[in-house]
Amino acid sequence: MTEGGINGFSSPRADVFPAGLRVLVVDDDPTWLKILEKMLKKCSYEVTTCGLAIEALDLLRERKDGFDIVISDVNMPDMDGFKLLEHVGLEMDLPVIMMSVDGETSRVMRGVQHGACDYLLKPIRMKELRNIWQHVYRKKIHEVRDTESHDGLEEILMMRNVSEQSDDGYLLCGGDMTPGKKRKDAEHKYDDKDFADHSSIKKARVVWTVDLHQKFVKAVNHIGFEKVGPKKILDLMNVPWLTRENVASHLQKYRLYLTRLQKDDLKTSSSGLKHPDFSPRDAAGGDRTDHLKMQQNEAVNSYRPPSNLLLQNANSRIHEVDLKGTASLQKIEPKKVLTGFAAKSHKASCSNVGMSHSFGSTQYSTYNSVLPTQYSWNEGFTEIQFKQERNPQFQVENGFADLGLPPLQQHNQLNLQPLQPIANGLFGKERDKQAKSSSGTKSSFGSYSLPSQNLMPSFQPPDPSFQPPDPVTSSTWSLKDDQQTSTDNLELTAFLLQGQNCPSTNLDMQNKGMLEDNDPGFIAEVPPNLYDALRFDYEFPDSLEYPVIDQGLFIV
Amino acid sequence: MDRNQMQMHRQIANIRKSFFDQGYLDEQFVQLEELQDSSNPNFVEEVVTLFYRDSARFLYNLDQALEKRPLDFSRLDSLMHQFKGSSSSIGAKKVKIECTQFRDYCNARNAEGCKRTFQHVKKEYTTLKKKLEAYFQMARQAGPMETACRPR
Repeated sequence: MTEGGINGFSSPRADVFPAGLRVLVVDDDPTWLKILEKMLKKCSYEVTTCGLAIEALDLLRERKDGFDIVISDVNMPDMDGFKLLEHVGLEMDLPVIMMSVDGETSRVMRGVQHGACDYLLKPIRMKELRNIWQHVYRKKIHEVRDTESHDGLEEILMMRNVSEQSDDGYLLCGGDMTPGKKRKDAEHKYDDKDFADHSSIKKARVVWTVDLHQKFVKAVNHIGFEKVGPKKILDLMNVPWLTRENVASHLQKYRLYLTRLQKDDLKTSSSGLKHPDFSPRDAAGGDRTDHLKMQQNEAVNSYRPPSNLLLQNANSRIHEVDLKGTASLQKIEPKKVLTGFAAKSHKASCSNVGMSHSFGSTQYSTYNSVLPTQYSWNEGFTEIQFKQERNPQFQVENGFADLGLPPLQQHNQLNLQPLQPIANGLFGKERDKQAKSSSGTKSSFGSYSLPSQNLMPSFQPPDPSFQPPDPVTSSTWSLKDDQQTSTDNLELTAFLLQGQNCPSTNLDMQNKGMLEDNDPGFIAEVPPNLYDALRFDYEFPDSLEYPVIDQGLFIV
Repeated sequence: MDRNQMQMHRQIANIRKSFFDQGYLDEQFVQLEELQDSSNPNFVEEVVTLFYRDSARFLYNLDQALEKRPLDFSRLDSLMHQFKGSSSSIGAKKVKIECTQFRDYCNARNAEGCKRTFQHVKKEYTTLKKKLEAYFQMARQAGPMETACRPR
């Protein structure tokens, strides 16, 4: 796999792996940047440095496949490191390592939750950097398994050969046993294939199109979240070329998103800059309808012009969460595809918001004004490719184990509006915001295990008299082609949206009020944050993605 | 040369050792030294120079922030956090200790403590700067070690 990169940047040569690993280092401290650059060069890595998160994202987007791994500081002036983390994971699906002077458990936990594959404490020793290749390797292994393609396999085999030849065989034990184990699995799987025929084409990933994801969500909903398993889903989906592994990995991501969404919701729902741990308002239980109303209120609230917003600080997190909530919570009829949340209609307006990476409140205003017009779910969006989210295994099981999915539904309706703009590719921003806002929070994550349950209680609509925003029919969202950038972001959103099974009443995204006639159960819990996010300056594109996916879980 | 040069090198080595013994520098400084090589023969000095140049803005901002009434502890903490991170890059041990102390006072919302500690931070920062400048100058004068050790 040594073909040149897409933009002319050479791919790393697998036969000398890990030398030549292409690393992007992001740190606003020039001293550290210089030191890290030197350290990485000494490890024979190919280093690119960047002093701003935004620059880094631009670089990554320009040079798709131009980097193997990203190392970023948590405290960046223009964007919260966690947000960058999420963006990278969602859009580029690269492993990201976080760095910080602060080694507090809560921070590290956040890092992991946001998808960091490692968290390094400054001052950083060179030996810690030597082993970062393991994250790249691990990811490749995962991908190969997911896609069952031979291309990635070839690369991995080459890497393996390197390790076998090396004396200390540290490739095998770099830190944890997983790579070794995975290698065995991969080996076992592909042993009898003829490798010689592998052409060095790019490995083919399973593309989770809107339709595919919809099927997935339907299946999940049908089975019931608690009872869901990859095999069952696979059977229900009835897609011949899909494998159990594909589904399993997709399911994992889905769960992860939901969990994260939930947490974010919880976090953001507590107002203020630094969120203290907030406990779910009505502890689990609660009347679903009530929650729904709350959510709706919250959602509506978020649509209000900035002045109404409670939290004016950039609580990207909230945005994100909100979005997520909305997106995922809705149940959508298969046919109803959330096409970019009225992407067309407010594409123009939203695009500014979404596209610019600015974190100003102006965006928000734009967003607000745009919102009401939104929704027309057009069909025929381009496929949204579900990008594999790089993720720590960590949360996946937590919240879901005991979650009853149904509560998620409550949030459903709320969100669509906010989501729309987001869908337009504004994602990234949201996520950024969220990251920012959550930076000061030391909320305990422990309480977030169950997305649905926690979401609802914590939600506190600022103004109970809101009308819920137009319900969002979220089946799958596909962004229109012309919204390319947003497409990236939307991916997740779509993913999320799909999670919601909108009852037949749905959701037409016209500006109707909340779907009163919707089956309450249908409304997934909309993370309160989702709407809060709207309140703040929020950079849509980024965060959207993120939340959406999270909430992708189905609502039974 | 040799004798004088060797003496100089010995002197430099002692000074360097004293930095560690007296707690001015920590292990991170050694890391920097290890990164220095033929392609970057003055790496350590470059990094230290860069640090002092870049970190000045933190001190300036902290000074300004400490003038405000009432004090914005959250901002002070954030600024100091960044400054501390930067100081850790060159292994400025005493400076870091004072930074930590400052942050503790911030958390305790102790204005007096903050102001007092900030003076300590600046003092340690400046002391180290002078010591390192002298050290690098000596090292430059003494010339590369290899020369000194070359057999006559």
